[in-house]
Amino acid sequence: MRSDPAEFNLVAPSDLRSALALMTTEGERWMPIAGGTDLMVQYAAGALRARRLMSIARLPELRQINVAADEIQIGAGSTYTDLRRQEAIARDFPMLAQAAGWVGGIANQNRGTIGGNIVNASPAGDSLPALLAYGAELILVSLNGERRVPYTMFHTGYRKIQLASNELIRAVCLPRRFIAYLQHARKVGTRNAQAVSKIALAALARVEGGIVRDVRIALGSVAPVPMRLAETERILTGNLLDDSVVALAAKTAASEVKPIDDIRSTARYRAAVVGNLVAEFLERLRAEPAATEAANQTLARWNALSADAAEGEILACCGSRVWARAMVSRRPLAEESAALSASEEICAGLGDADWLEAFCAHPRIGGKKAEEVASLQSAAWSAQEQSSAAAAGAELKAALAEGNREYERRFGRIFIVCATGKTSAEILAILQKRLQNDDRSELREAAEQQRQITELRLRKWLRA
Amino acid sequence: MTKRGAARRDISLTVNGEVKTVCAYPMERLLDVLREQLGLTGTKEGCGEGECGACSVFMDGALVDSCLVPVLQAQGSSVVTIEGLAVDARARAVQDAFLEYGGAQCGICTPGMILAAVHLLNAKPAPTMDDIREGLAGNLCRCTGYLQILEAVAAAAAKGGAAR
Repeated sequence: MRSDPAEFNLVAPSDLRSALALMTTEGERWMPIAGGTDLMVQYAAGALRARRLMSIARLPELRQINVAADEIQIGAGSTYTDLRRQEAIARDFPMLAQAAGWVGGIANQNRGTIGGNIVNASPAGDSLPALLAYGAELILVSLNGERRVPYTMFHTGYRKIQLASNELIRAVCLPRRFIAYLQHARKVGTRNAQAVSKIALAALARVEGGIVRDVRIALGSVAPVPMRLAETERILTGNLLDDSVVALAAKTAASEVKPIDDIRSTARYRAAVVGNLVAEFLERLRAEPAATEAANQTLARWNALSADAAEGEILACCGSRVWARAMVSRRPLAEESAALSASEEICAGLGDADWLEAFCAHPRIGGKKAEEVASLQSAAWSAQEQSSAAAAGAELKAALAEGNREYERRFGRIFIVCATGKTSAEILAILQKRLQNDDRSELREAAEQQRQITELRLRKWLRA
Repeated sequence: MTKRGAARRDISLTVNGEVKTVCAYPMERLLDVLREQLGLTGTKEGCGEGECGACSVFMDGALVDSCLVPVLQAQGSSVVTIEGLAVDARARAVQDAFLEYGGAQCGICTPGMILAAVHLLNAKPAPTMDDIREGLAGNLCRCTGYLQILEAVAAAAAKGGAAR
């Protein structure tokens, strides 16, 4: 039965201090409401027990995200959309950004807040495994001042939190010490969007020479509160990731969780999937050093080549001679990240003629031959990159061909787009949109696409 | 202060560009105020719990489910409903594409779908198919099977440059 709005009060203090003062009023309890993505659902079902609500959705003090050298402080009123838009979060805490994208649809992400996700204290809260894996701390505020508590000491039981009735979460603090870790987040639900998770995992680890130096694995929906896999982490730490360690870790993980049968899944299924998710994470960890090693070897070989041979080889990644020569002059390049950042810097300084030269090394989308005679490697990569476009139906192919011709008439060169992962329909949409550009902005756009292609090809070349 | 509940009070907000003052309980849903007090019935009620997107509106430019917004939280905000989007060139292009590609059948989800699509295209004028799927993931349709809707949005995006 729907609630009767006449039975509820809602007020909206204009700043944090007035909100805290209201919460301290003798004999009155005020339930904070931010985006309402949980409370309004209870209200709709006639199940909201609180009768006095206090909106904190617009308190400016809760909406700030501060990036310091050692930590990032996220205002508790930050929405999931805020989290996804914040570059520092995407870079340092990608699992949190990813989890924010798991929450409902865009409309829910625009309203729901990280503070709300924490106080709602559902075992399935999307952001919670990431917070646990990152070792988050919470800043709680009342009129008496602030206190800082680890998230693990805050969320202590099924829907149980250590928050006094006069307190609010002001901010969530994440330590910026995981940038060199491999991070892996995964949600398993009925479908990818809009579904409550059956199991969610957030895991990160630092591996050196195949040995796990530090590992943190957190899971949601498998116990009354999100949990760390202490025993599994202990088995992994200090060990070489060989087949037997991976198998033992997966088995331990499956037995370490305490899932239940409920409306969304069964305990047995959940435990089995936990084992699989942990194994998947460890396989990624194992693959990563191999990729790094391959890149180092490619670079070592390339560093030792004559300048001409080195230029000839790297031209397959980007057809601009100025770019290739500049890359060669930066030798020796020790590792992948050095090669990628060298390329970024060089790209930033390329002139129009250099870009035009690079464009000529690509075949027309839907075509086979580049204008210049490109290397065999470049031609093979072009075929790979454009493979989804090549799979188009006849009608789309014809539309693409016509679009390409129009583009060439309009701009006097072939249409460049980073085609990897894009379908023909998407490419056609982009092409038609770019046909509206003026010459200047179209050259910039094409150059940006070439830059993306170059980055992808550098990675492929290095890891081959 | 009354022991429980609250009296109706005047709440002002901008709706489709016009300042409106409504007399409502602060916990009344924005959805009900739009439909019943302001007569803007283009905004639909589907699930009433933020899962289906039929009640989508823009609040200060952000797509929200109006069934989850207590009207007091919209005080001083600028709300745009499907009726207010009728003059927007991008929304018109999306609407035309829905007609052309069969993106609308029974019509209950359509206003929300169009709002979600316009919200997406405002942020990403040349979205990928994945962007479109993500942008519309919060809007449920029980007729079309979605493909026509996704194609319509992709087509509107492709024509976007010309429409503006």
